[in-house]
Amino acid sequence: MRFMGRRLLFLPLVLFGVTALLFFAVDFLSPEMRAALYVKNPRQMASVEDVIEKYGLRKPLPVQYGIWLREALRGNLGYSETARMPVADAIREFFPATLELALAAFVPTVVLGVLFGVLSAVFKDRWLDQATRFVAITGYSLPSFVLGLLLLMLFYGKWHLFAPGRYSLDVDLAVHAAGFKHPTGLLCLDAILDGRWDVFWDVARHLVLPAATLTYINLALLLRVTRSAMLEELGKDYVRTARAKGLPESLVVGRHALRNALIPVITLSSLLIVSLLGGVVITETIFDYPGIGRWTVMAAQELDIPGVIGTTLLASVLFVIANLCADLLYAVVDPRLRA
Amino acid sequence: MRATEVRGSSRKTLDRPQRPLSRLFSIAFRCLLLPSVALCRPHAAGASDAGAYTELSISGIDSLDPAWAYDGASEEIILNIYETLFAFDKSSVVKLAPRLAAKVPSRRNGLISKDGRTYVIPLRRGVTFQDGSPMTPEDVRYSIMRFMLLDRAGGASAVLLQPLLGYDSTRDEDGKLKPSAWRDAARAVQAGRDRIILHLPKPFAPLRSILASWAPVTPRRWAAKNGDWDGSEKTLAKFNNVEKRGTWLFDHANGTGPFRLERWDRQAMEVVLERNDRYWRKAARLSRVVVRGVNEFETRKLMLEAGDADSIYATWQAFNQVKALAGVRVIEDVPMIEINPMVLFTYHVQAAGNPFIGSGRLDGDGVPPDLFVDTDVRKGFAYAFDYAGFIRDVSRGHGTPANGCIPKGLLGYEPRAPLYPFDLGRARRHLRRALGGALWDRGFRFTMLYLAGNDERGIVCRMLARNLASINPRFRIDVRPAEWPAFLDASVSGRLPAYPDAWQADYPDPHNFAYPLMHSKGYYPKSQGFRDAEADKIIEQAMSESEPARRKKLYARLIAIEHADVPHLLIEYPSNYRTQRTWVRGWVSNPVFPESPYGAYYYPMWKAAS
Repeated sequence: MRFMGRRLLFLPLVLFGVTALLFFAVDFLSPEMRAALYVKNPRQMASVEDVIEKYGLRKPLPVQYGIWLREALRGNLGYSETARMPVADAIREFFPATLELALAAFVPTVVLGVLFGVLSAVFKDRWLDQATRFVAITGYSLPSFVLGLLLLMLFYGKWHLFAPGRYSLDVDLAVHAAGFKHPTGLLCLDAILDGRWDVFWDVARHLVLPAATLTYINLALLLRVTRSAMLEELGKDYVRTARAKGLPESLVVGRHALRNALIPVITLSSLLIVSLLGGVVITETIFDYPGIGRWTVMAAQELDIPGVIGTTLLASVLFVIANLCADLLYAVVDPRLRA
Repeated sequence: MRATEVRGSSRKTLDRPQRPLSRLFSIAFRCLLLPSVALCRPHAAGASDAGAYTELSISGIDSLDPAWAYDGASEEIILNIYETLFAFDKSSVVKLAPRLAAKVPSRRNGLISKDGRTYVIPLRRGVTFQDGSPMTPEDVRYSIMRFMLLDRAGGASAVLLQPLLGYDSTRDEDGKLKPSAWRDAARAVQAGRDRIILHLPKPFAPLRSILASWAPVTPRRWAAKNGDWDGSEKTLAKFNNVEKRGTWLFDHANGTGPFRLERWDRQAMEVVLERNDRYWRKAARLSRVVVRGVNEFETRKLMLEAGDADSIYATWQAFNQVKALAGVRVIEDVPMIEINPMVLFTYHVQAAGNPFIGSGRLDGDGVPPDLFVDTDVRKGFAYAFDYAGFIRDVSRGHGTPANGCIPKGLLGYEPRAPLYPFDLGRARRHLRRALGGALWDRGFRFTMLYLAGNDERGIVCRMLARNLASINPRFRIDVRPAEWPAFLDASVSGRLPAYPDAWQADYPDPHNFAYPLMHSKGYYPKSQGFRDAEADKIIEQAMSESEPARRKKLYARLIAIEHADVPHLLIEYPSNYRTQRTWVRGWVSNPVFPESPYGAYYYPMWKAAS
């Protein structure tokens, strides 16, 4: 508990450091560059000075940061021009969509990655190992936009199975009807809680392709890490001893070797979930999925400073929490670390 | 029988002793496979609903407030919900038809005074807003005043402030609201029993065109009741230059138009409109319109192909791809009211800390800040561009060579006006003469920036750079793309010696091109440092002149001045194309309508049985 407390106490410092660093970086941009967020076309170019004045873009950096910090402490993270809503609202809107997609991709990635990583190590150099190696190589080699587009062309363009977006027009009215509650923002879960199975299946079908793309791309690394960690453990003395004692192979592999091989897998998984939750830009763009990644890239491209700070803050919080969870999991799988 | 067999085989599988790893594998496989099978139902295309229309654009809207919005995506939605006093008649950009007005005022019908300073606009009776409340002259007055007086930084208010109040901004140089602004507006816009009367400080010929494009009518009482501006002088300071989300109309709408707002989903970049069954004309045939931003072209294309979209945004680069799609109709050569691209010359470049002019001297490794003051330099550049080649190869033969600041389709466009031909011999002669021959001997080097992602403008810069280098290898132009913030910064601070840009109409009148491109107080001449007293005088005369023939003559003279002065290279009046499913009917092409040809006025449209 003390360890967790220390880590959580550290969080405000991290957030302060991140925001100060961002403001410092932004100060390198001229007020005219920052005005580009509000001036989008040549018809508005005559008003650039007016815009700079209105948004206080010529104020000294410490003043601008002070204003932002004061408002942030009151819970106001500013207004994101790219999300067209306050930053806090944008996080509330976009994050559940990304969380839903991240979970849909993370769970199969970890399950399949660990499973096939273990099998690949156990059946080293057999056909299963070769097959997983092939999966790993193609997963590494295929850029997500190529795989995403291929899947979309086949499963949507050719076979009309899985459409892009978060849900189809057919359930659009149901999702936005007054009676449909959104307690979690995770549409699949909300649909179950509302008893709307038509919505559930529709949302789940829209998750298939982006989740499959992310799973395939991320599976490779997890699979390879699990395999090499398992191979290392399987070659150690304690495994030989366990086998010599006559323990069944499943116990040797599943209880002894796998447990020790999980440490790097946990590290990698924590990084994976952070990267998934921080937004998967290309996948969300290709599948027209309204998550945090699409917002992040728009905010960065258009120099939407409140948006960039909001998404960075979110990523920082996620990173700290994921690290904390990873540390706790280390202690679960390795009793020596509990001390 | 079959069920028994299945059960039998299951039992057989379960009876067989399994190794733990195999069991794990089997469970995982089933966990993934079974839901997958359940999910694999064919997707029902949205096009099956003949009343629902889906348009895929590339961005979401910025605001629903008619006094705030200044982007095509927002304006398209606003003009399907709200209505203006007049509208352009079908495809015309000149002929007006009454919309919320009962008549279009003219000198002939006596509704415009002889001195051109008073407009009487009788209003249509029996029009109601979408909440059922009747439209009154007071609502019209409020809407015009609100459009002018909210006057947000970077907004469109100036298009009405200038003709009705005689100034461009409601704020003084310190950014404070002018004390007389409300009174000036109240004097200029008056409501009668069934009419609205406008008093202009001086005649302004394009006013009717402006009123056909801007200041649609919003209900005053509804807005005020919900915390928006109440129309009074007392509360104006709170709403002048207001924050985007500081008005009720930012995300709420209540117009008189054929569609009402069902939802603006900012997360999905989607606006859903529903038919307004209380519409004062016959109700629209489409019951629902969804306008959604989808960034990725391939996704838009697949959705169009699958029938989930009825029309999509597509660029010329994608032309061959969409043309080849089955069930898709491509409507080519849709006219546009714009000049795109063009190259602006800056006469007096800001030299301090400017990386775009090299050494800043005429030493072959830079350019002096006033390089383009010399007419021979500008003419040399004008002759060095292959206009016909650009239209043939880059615009695929669509578009018209631009021969003046008044684009094709508008009064004052002169098809016989002279063009600068692509003539490297003449370019050489002018550049040899430039700066007393020093330019030819020493050469120059500067940077041309273009907006990243706009490949056509990049090609313009490279064509110019290559042709000039072919005349004299000492002429070097470095071409670089820049993201919008960097491009904006460099261009508004006057640091770019020459750069490509484009100009689109705020309203379809020659004044909206002549002023920003040729008047010394217009945006471009002001930042370029270009000034021609005769051009200024002509533009002001033409602005006040209501007789079309006389206006046309004035603009002909202006174009002659432009040709002689060459403050810019105008390259093309572009045309565009529209991509829609073959079942879409009733689309009317009008380049004035926001986002045309991708966007649409949905009232006359419907979908035939697929």
